Amino acid sequence: MPTGIVESPVKIDPRVAFQSPEVWAKVTGKAIYGGDLMLPGMLYGRILRSPHPHARIKKIDIKQASGLAGVRAVLTGSSIVQKPYGIVIDDELPLAEAVVRYIGDEVAAVAAVSYEQAAEAARLIRVEYEELPAVFDPAEALKKGAPQLHAKFPGNIAWERHLERGNCDQAFREADIVVENTFTVPPIHSTYLEPTVCLAVSDPYNGLILHTAVQSPDQVRTIVARVLDLPLSKVRVIGPVMGGGFGGRVYGNLKLYIIASLLAIRTGRPIKMQLTREEEFLVGRPLIGAELKLRMAVRSDGTILAREADIITDNGAYSAQAPWVSKTLSERNDSVYQFKAIKTKVRLVYTNKVPTGQYRAYGNQAANFATESLLDMAAAKLGFDPLEIRLKNCVRAGDVTVHGLQLKSCALADCLKAAAAEIGWHNRKEGRGYGISAAIHSSGSVVFDKNFRGAAALARLELDGRVSIFSGEQDYGQGAHATFTLIAARALGIPAELITIHTRDTLASPFSIGALGMRQTTIGGNAIRLAAEQLREKIVQTAADMVNEPVIFEGGSVKSASGQVIELPAIAFRYYSLTSGLTLVGEGKYVPAESAYDKSGYGNIAVTYSFAAHAAEVEVDKLTGEIIVHRIVAAHDSGRIINHLAALGQVYGGVTQGLGMSCFEGYLFEGGRVANASLADYRIPTSLDVPAIVPLFIEQDDPEGPYGAKGLGEIVQIPVLGAIANAIADTAGVRVTDLPITAEKVFLALSGWECEA
Amino acid sequence: MEKELIKFMLNGEPVEVYNDPASSLLHLLREKFSLTGTKEGCGEGECGACTVLLDDLAVNSCLIPAGKVNGRSVETIEALSKDGGVDPIQEAFVEKGAVQCGFCTPGMVMSARALLKQNPDPDPEEIKMAISGNLCRCTGYKQIEAAILLAAGKINSK
Repeated sequence: MPTGIVESPVKIDPRVAFQSPEVWAKVTGKAIYGGDLMLPGMLYGRILRSPHPHARIKKIDIKQASGLAGVRAVLTGSSIVQKPYGIVIDDELPLAEAVVRYIGDEVAAVAAVSYEQAAEAARLIRVEYEELPAVFDPAEALKKGAPQLHAKFPGNIAWERHLERGNCDQAFREADIVVENTFTVPPIHSTYLEPTVCLAVSDPYNGLILHTAVQSPDQVRTIVARVLDLPLSKVRVIGPVMGGGFGGRVYGNLKLYIIASLLAIRTGRPIKMQLTREEEFLVGRPLIGAELKLRMAVRSDGTILAREADIITDNGAYSAQAPWVSKTLSERNDSVYQFKAIKTKVRLVYTNKVPTGQYRAYGNQAANFATESLLDMAAAKLGFDPLEIRLKNCVRAGDVTVHGLQLKSCALADCLKAAAAEIGWHNRKEGRGYGISAAIHSSGSVVFDKNFRGAAALARLELDGRVSIFSGEQDYGQGAHATFTLIAARALGIPAELITIHTRDTLASPFSIGALGMRQTTIGGNAIRLAAEQLREKIVQTAADMVNEPVIFEGGSVKSASGQVIELPAIAFRYYSLTSGLTLVGEGKYVPAESAYDKSGYGNIAVTYSFAAHAAEVEVDKLTGEIIVHRIVAAHDSGRIINHLAALGQVYGGVTQGLGMSCFEGYLFEGGRVANASLADYRIPTSLDVPAIVPLFIEQDDPEGPYGAKGLGEIVQIPVLGAIANAIADTAGVRVTDLPITAEKVFLALSGWECEA
Repeated sequence: MEKELIKFMLNGEPVEVYNDPASSLLHLLREKFSLTGTKEGCGEGECGACTVLLDDLAVNSCLIPAGKVNGRSVETIEALSKDGGVDPIQEAFVEKGAVQCGFCTPGMVMSARALLKQNPDPDPEEIKMAISGNLCRCTGYKQIEAAILLAAGKINSK
């Protein structure tokens, strides 16, 4: 990979380059992450994991482990009350009881006074296994006679969906050309830099407190309370600073939290548990791997008619969010173009491998790779320019897509044009390949819980005149706190420096679905805007009552008609005095309109939608297959950008993750064993791998988002994959359909192996 | 696991500690001196989150046996804001938006510090090389590189 230059941020508006004051704690090393937490009397927990991909547990002998000095508890599946749980499907137990289903499956847990003693005790637990036949390939797992993972899911199908919109067969009959291919994507780990940690504390008065950084503390709290049979009000999640998440930590590591809680309840002592980097790879719930068999029907004038898909997603041993991710992977990308008909079959299949979950764009990035590659094949077959075929078919504002998404704002065509112009689409360098790709992503998904579509927030005027915002949304590095501060400051008309955002304690903040589905700015931000607006009204009302004349709240202070200035602390104190202790609180309830969302999933699934087009310029060494990505242009329609500095950071980071997924990341397996469970072997991009990145924002107001804004954090990764794949094919003359696209695969394709141009 | 007396300079002050000489400098710093600004991202020398300066050179503290620092000088992220101030590198990181989740940041800042001590006027390529052992998953490195370039300018103009 080449180096490229140090970018100077483009189009940065210094008025909207705010950062949370927490940045100073982070840059000086003072920010407290989970691993930094200590409590008096704290014990350390360790987990004994299955060494077999599939086996029956015949006997567990804990005598030696229990007798070791310093050991305070040893738990096995038969020594605790077990309740099946899951996020979508209840297919897991806190500790394996009769059967282990993958290498890493939790078999026993230990708490001891030191980490070393806990690790030693875990080693001393003797487990007798009877190995069972295992299955690692989803296609094999679907065959008759394949080893079965879960009795409740015969045929190893965890979840499936068959969907047809429009008349797909007819569309294929009307087509002038049909292109088809099979694309494969390995499981991808979010690879947040901070390994998952939790500190569980249990006492009769407070109940259970989990100190852990997750993207959705409220959902973790609900599941943990349900599994442990605790009253919901007796479970609290408090977040230390979070060292990255990228969708991989929406639920954190539920198993770790449940086991730490069980040990804390058993011992009455705080329990600290931390996954090693190896464990992160072995049990860390990566994005599902997928095989996508796609066919596309296109008319000779370049009109895209229909798409047929047969998709198999590799669930691993348990499900996490994989059904939801499989759904997004199989259909979100269909709303990029004006498809007339769609037929989709998607099956989520159990295998004896690491259980999967999600990462950043919920599988939409995998679909982008496949669909955008296929579209270029269609364009090539028709002699169409890849840019032109996209401009001809891409969705526009006002469209209702094939799945019923209502596009209230959409600058996708402008993104395509801007990306193409900036990359030099019509002014190409000799020996370089060019690729372009388009994407849509939900901005503020409302379908995680049909009874809970929006968000709530509180804005409280403090006695010192500052404002505290309470929200259940989460900042894990992406800059949500800064964005929320800017939104509240704008709604209140006070300086951002007077506002503090509080999100990390489930006891203090309203319940939230959490940081997923690009909800933060659109949904969480709207709730904060509404809370701040209501607080503003209350401030004006209280001030007017104080001076008994009309007032205006402008430029951060309240003035009466006669010219008196009433300071915010005085207003806060007035209300506090009148009520003997209460403070003025604005409540924000943002409840998006009910979607016409039918049983087949047809309908508007999000508050609004973000769009992007990325263009890539690459070079391929025809002798060795070596790929040099020179430049990525990332053009985004995320509505009005609230915080330019943070938005640029999202684009640079998301494009880099897209590059990693395109060219070198992915799980490797030897049988059921993860063959690259370290950062040495699972390589993510370093500073030397990242090409020049040019972010472009096509700013238009969105009618739903706060101050015209839409989400950005997930979509930044999506179109990178199609753009790089298409650019490589453009110059190499061969197409690699199996991610990651490595020099080796390009070399083999150039040599005539698996060559599909 | 025999403990030994280890004497070294830590953030400009002489310190002494009885410790297992084979355990890592990272754990020594975090557990014995409560210097938790140095982070553990992998414990295998792959991520650079634990970068500290050992006699002014950037090292992965997870790979340095505690006994090896005897008689030498160790500097951690905490040294940079010792008197409540901040270093120009830290200022530049904030100014350029180089900090997202922040977990790589202390190690990144220390690698930048080692670079600027040896090469006060690095070019972009030298900056990329200097932080190539520090993984960051959030930023794509662009704003970090811009920050280090800015910091060099700030330091040189002093």
